[in-house]
Amino acid sequence: MTSYLGEFEQLLLLAVLRLGADAYAPELARELEARAGRTVSRGHLYTTLDRLEDKGLVRWKLAPGGAVRDGLPRRHYTATAAGVAALRESRDVLRRMWRGLEGALGEP
Amino acid sequence: MIQRDPPRLARVLVERVLPEDARGRAIVGDLLEEFRRDDRPGRAARRYWFHALSMAIRYRTVPTPQPVREHSSMLESILYDVKHAARLYLKAPGFALAVVATLGLGIGASTAIFSMVHAILITPLPLPDPGRLVWINETGHNGSFISTAWPNYLDWRARQHSFESLALSREEPLTLTGLDRARRIRARRVTGNFFQTIGVAPAFGRALTDDEDKANAAPVVLVSDGFWKTTLGGDPSAVGRILQLDQTPYTIVGVLPAGFQYLRPYDVFVNIGPVAATPYLAMRGNHNGFYALGRLRPGSALEPADREIRAIAADLEREHPGTNASVSARAMLLQDRYVADIRPTLLALFGAVGFLLLIACVNVANLLISRGASRRHELAVRAALGGGRLRLVRQLLVESTVVSVAGGVLGAGIAALLLRALVAAAPDGTPRIADVALDRAALLFALGAAGVCGVVFGAFPALQVSGVDGQQALVRGRAASFSAGSHRLRRGLIVVESALALMLLAGAGLMIRTVQELINLDPGFRPDHIVTTRMTLAGPQWTDERQEAFRSDLVERLKALPGVRNAALTFALPIDGSQWNSIFIVEGKPVPERAQLPAAAFTPVSTGYFETVGMRLLEGRTFTSGDTAKSQTVVVINETLAKRLWPGEDPIGKHLKQGWPEDKTAWREVVGIVADVKFNGLTNDTPLQAYLPLTQEPMRTLAIAARTAVDPGSVAPAIESVVHQMDKDMPVYLTRTMDDVLAASIALQRTSRIVFVTFAVVALVLAAVGLYGVVAQGVTERTHEIGVRMALGAQQRSVVSMVIQQGLSMAIVGSVIGIAGAIALSRWIQGLLFNVKATDPTTLTVVAAVLLAAGGAACLVPAWSAARVDPIKALRTE
Repeated sequence: MTSYLGEFEQLLLLAVLRLGADAYAPELARELEARAGRTVSRGHLYTTLDRLEDKGLVRWKLAPGGAVRDGLPRRHYTATAAGVAALRESRDVLRRMWRGLEGALGEP
Repeated sequence: MIQRDPPRLARVLVERVLPEDARGRAIVGDLLEEFRRDDRPGRAARRYWFHALSMAIRYRTVPTPQPVREHSSMLESILYDVKHAARLYLKAPGFALAVVATLGLGIGASTAIFSMVHAILITPLPLPDPGRLVWINETGHNGSFISTAWPNYLDWRARQHSFESLALSREEPLTLTGLDRARRIRARRVTGNFFQTIGVAPAFGRALTDDEDKANAAPVVLVSDGFWKTTLGGDPSAVGRILQLDQTPYTIVGVLPAGFQYLRPYDVFVNIGPVAATPYLAMRGNHNGFYALGRLRPGSALEPADREIRAIAADLEREHPGTNASVSARAMLLQDRYVADIRPTLLALFGAVGFLLLIACVNVANLLISRGASRRHELAVRAALGGGRLRLVRQLLVESTVVSVAGGVLGAGIAALLLRALVAAAPDGTPRIADVALDRAALLFALGAAGVCGVVFGAFPALQVSGVDGQQALVRGRAASFSAGSHRLRRGLIVVESALALMLLAGAGLMIRTVQELINLDPGFRPDHIVTTRMTLAGPQWTDERQEAFRSDLVERLKALPGVRNAALTFALPIDGSQWNSIFIVEGKPVPERAQLPAAAFTPVSTGYFETVGMRLLEGRTFTSGDTAKSQTVVVINETLAKRLWPGEDPIGKHLKQGWPEDKTAWREVVGIVADVKFNGLTNDTPLQAYLPLTQEPMRTLAIAARTAVDPGSVAPAIESVVHQMDKDMPVYLTRTMDDVLAASIALQRTSRIVFVTFAVVALVLAAVGLYGVVAQGVTERTHEIGVRMALGAQQRSVVSMVIQQGLSMAIVGSVIGIAGAIALSRWIQGLLFNVKATDPTTLTVVAAVLLAAGGAACLVPAWSAARVDPIKALRTE
């Protein structure tokens, strides 16, 4: 049984995958805002990242921070295999649910 | 990139809530980076705050993988307590709503009244160093204030040492012609040193000089900034221009600075010179409306200055016994004098609102105590499980502070609304009413009051809990949640609340009686369907003959207007008060000492005046067209004068003479006696009055009185246009119906009544709700006992009466204390009352009955539910 992914968790995981080596919190927030139009409070962002980590869907490693951060470290996120699998599962569920609804939505 | 730093407090907050590990440091770094990369510092700081707060909330509510730390910081746990309190109140909003609404009302009302007190009584006048500005007037026999005679002022000025400058001035509305339509402007006639005394110099042009006080000095005028901007269009070359004031050309010599205001917003200030030559000014016995204004020397106090002025007045009395008999002087701070009339009312309202705030606080205390008691069990459990006692006390304090602050915020809103209503309802001419605003001091007052409420009344239950014997509370359980001590405390608070409510009710009752007395008062004339207006025949072109022709022509034209039944002219209207007070002597009676000479309000009127205003003729006749400038000089007197001067005699045919015995004024034959009218306002006793025919005593300042068959206000425009047809330069001003004049004269009492009644009703409701709460809780707790009683055969009726008796006993004790308090405080309100004693037994009885009725009603619901206790159920639940 795969763990259920909330909508924001999905968006966040997708952003981690898209950003690859650049996936740390400020960039994630920017990506979500640019691509999904979502402005997200940092409280929400970090607690969601922590939750994804608890579920084993992301992991992170520390990287040194520059002068702009007063030398404070960065956390770079990568999606785990389980994270990718959970995303795939969520996408498939959605696809199944969407299939055949074109008529109801008034689309060709 | 500039290395800016985020807001310190926000950064501290972030660092406090985040774990002190790599994870936390990385987040701090992320926020720092985002803050510094934002090129707009303001937005960056706002966003940092937003993220910091979101972090504080999230990291406290969402379980995070970090281990629970043993030592949480003070700030964190207080934040936690605030959140906890908010959650508790949201779960059961009734309690929080009751507290917030109660506090909001109490704090709102007190803040509004405090704002008025602050703006009117406390804030210094907007003049340089106002604490040294002193107002001086003369006093007549029995100490009544009279204006200052010009020669007396000149002597004060020459002999005094307390003031570095002593000026004289009077309000003197003038007619401005030649610019557009003739109009009355607000003017003050002042001595040359007036502005030096105040400490204000003109923005441009020059001030007045001492030479301009001298007889026949050229007429000069200083204009206010507002007048310069509006009437003169901000003309930069205004200095040197001529203003036609009362048909006399005044040269503008200066423009006063913007923002300058001496008491009222005067348009212009003119010099004494043009009137200094008039004989009436030079007479020491004439008090022509002038008041002195002094600036104390630095370091001088008011008291010695007052003593010095009185001493000089005493010397003058010895030197001029003919005119200065029993005339003294009195010095007061300008500010105190200016607000003297409104001060007692404001202070009484301030006291009343203080009571209201106390009642609100007592009510909140009651609510908090009852809540604290009902949570005894919960708190005892927490204490038993190891919750620190200090921690529990702090949580209760935070809870009460949260609602108090919410009440304070609501109170500020209510205050703003109430203040707007109060300013709108304030009588015309209330000093400094334009300055009244919800000011910072008032807001601080509100928040301070809220804070004190929170801490003081949060402390009651907190202290009770901290004294809990945890085990006992656990064993006894919920049903016995009230300790005897908290019960006594709550009952005591209800008694206090009832007492305070009774005092407010007494104030309201007395104001209601006062306004009723004023409304029912017979003014001595028929005020309905009368419209009045004023005009001035200004300038040398108005010879006596021309005035006479104008007056009779005017009255005829007014009578011909549609809707007008009668019209007349007078020098002074009823209620509005006297314009001319003078001593007089009576023929055939010994002339008393000069200090004992009788004085009367002399009022020249046209024929038809008494009929027009609806006065009653008691004896003799009124004036007719036969009373002319050349016929026998006559006078109509009022009842008071007749009784005072000719007790037990018939005054008709007797003679009196206005002025001093040696004056060459004419003896006048008394031809009629009219009933008294209320002359100087509704509340003052009617003075001695002598009415003279205008034909024999022409006056340039006149009031029109017209009795109408239709709505009097609707005729006013026609009256004004009649005057303008006759003379386009004649300003018509102060057009009012007589009903308006009456209403304005009791506006202060009416406003006080509204405020008192509002406060009293709120107090009554709060007290009743408080009583209801205590009685209802008592019934709930005693369900078992009541069940036992009923099982043993007690009747429903006896249960009801037991509950009501116990509830009412608190209200009765409170009423007794309240009546004692009301009597003790009576002297503070007596000055506001009319024809009612502040200790009036009827009023006190009625308000006590009202309070007890409300108390009884508050007990009915719990009594009813007590009577319906099912003994079986009540016993089974134990």
